[in-house]
Amino acid sequence: MSASLYTIRRIKNVVAMALSVFATAIGLLFLAWILWETLSQGIAGLKPQLFTKITAYREEGGLANAMVGSLILNIIGILIATPIGVAAGTWLAEYSSRSKLGPTIRFLNDILLSAPSIVLGLFVYTVIVLPSKWLTNGDVTFSGIAGGIALALIALPVIVRTTDEMLRLVPGTLREAALSLGVPQWKLTMQILVRAARSGIVTGVLLALARISGETAPLLFTAFGNNFMTFNPIDKMPSLPQVIYEYTKDPSPDINVLAWAGAFVLTMFVLALSLIARFVFSRSKVSHD
Amino acid sequence: MTNMNEVASQPGFGTSPHASGVDLGQVAPKMFARDVNFHYNDFHALKNISMDVPEKKVTAIIGPSGCGKSTLLRIFNRIYAIYPGLRASGEIILDGENILDPKYSLNRLRSKVGMVFQKPVPFPMTIFENVAYGIRHHEKLSRADMENRVEQALRGAALWDEVKDKLKNSALGLSGGQQQRLCIARGIALKPEVLLLDEPTSALDPIATSRIEQLVEELKKDFTIVIVTHNMQQAARVSDMTAFMYMGELIEFDRTEKIFTKPDKKQTEDYITGRFG
Repeated sequence: MSASLYTIRRIKNVVAMALSVFATAIGLLFLAWILWETLSQGIAGLKPQLFTKITAYREEGGLANAMVGSLILNIIGILIATPIGVAAGTWLAEYSSRSKLGPTIRFLNDILLSAPSIVLGLFVYTVIVLPSKWLTNGDVTFSGIAGGIALALIALPVIVRTTDEMLRLVPGTLREAALSLGVPQWKLTMQILVRAARSGIVTGVLLALARISGETAPLLFTAFGNNFMTFNPIDKMPSLPQVIYEYTKDPSPDINVLAWAGAFVLTMFVLALSLIARFVFSRSKVSHD
Repeated sequence: MTNMNEVASQPGFGTSPHASGVDLGQVAPKMFARDVNFHYNDFHALKNISMDVPEKKVTAIIGPSGCGKSTLLRIFNRIYAIYPGLRASGEIILDGENILDPKYSLNRLRSKVGMVFQKPVPFPMTIFENVAYGIRHHEKLSRADMENRVEQALRGAALWDEVKDKLKNSALGLSGGQQQRLCIARGIALKPEVLLLDEPTSALDPIATSRIEQLVEELKKDFTIVIVTHNMQQAARVSDMTAFMYMGELIEFDRTEKIFTKPDKKQTEDYITGRFG
């Protein structure tokens, strides 16, 4: 190769490298900025009472009820979405190849994946919150259950998609090997394929959990919010993102600080979930191939 | 052709006429294909294949890539049927019954015809469970019997000595050659009658390959073996009968010695001598 050609390639390489490093730096800059901003603004609010007192005490209180509420809502959401999502994803990956329904459902699932979350909140408000009104003699029926269902609708397509993709990553030869032993399809799916794709599926569930734990909009018309501690899922239920949303609009600076502290806790929670998900997934890759 | 009559007069064979009329050296065919055609959607992949697989011998199928040798092998246990758009017609007779008949139970077929694939595919379980898994589906055994059976299978696959102290370890930690022998153990654990090997050494190094070849030599005492290979030396080394396929047709099928020394067809000779393929 001529020297000049080599020089030109080297220059092109340096330029391409510089551009991608620059792009990465921009992304990382904003991430670090967000973390720094939430920490520095919220540090004054990061006191033990943040985790022990409830929002009813306003400035003298904490976010304990909102954290507990978020936890319950997320658990309800994930408990509903996981079995349905894993089952649907398994059907898509393992059983839909002979039917035209498969691609259609994948397409609809992708639409659900990108549906605005407030629309899902309104949907649950219309089909669950409003109709259940006449069951309770006209009382308003905002509830943790309704909030959990709204969150489940957001988590569901994420879980369907990852389960589908993870199962399709399992080499076809594994299926052939099991089937050639006479093992029926359902045993193959439940005992071998799901096991082979397990860590990928768990990762999907964790990412769905991270996704819904930051949602505010779908909870506004469903869980509604509550200034007191409640463990009752048919009661109105507070949540961390919603309290942050309300506290940010508050004129009192002390309340704003609590919002920042809440935002920091939430960000750390989501970050931890993502890290756990990465860890689970990277461990699985070692065991494969 | 004198021993044609001897073959045809053997028990269990009289009802089904000999398919390809090849001298099997007085061995009754365990399984034979008659006028088998195969389609991948519109592509005619196998054309009127008729061949006999002699009992407790090694039959090799050779030919260039895309000639249909793996396709033929995959019809012998109907594993092709898991994919949509694939059709096989004709007859494959195993012990007097047509396995291509939809009424022939897949469960029964696959307990009689085992298969080992090109790439080792251990299940994501322990070494013990890999072998026990298939057995458990077909038979209910006591713990002691199961342990016995697993040991027997691993010994049969010449793997026992290497894994006896780590049966509870994940099978994914074994080397490629060990994984492939584990897959053979998994296959023979079901006590099949026919064992199909689909290029079983193409993903292995030469040492692991020669171990598998020795193993095939051992296994033919108990099993009828069909091996697909793109390695002609391997076919010459391990097989008793060799089938040469080209473009979906069975060009020549005869004793391995004859195929590799004085084949009848020019195409076979060209392939054997490396003039094409």
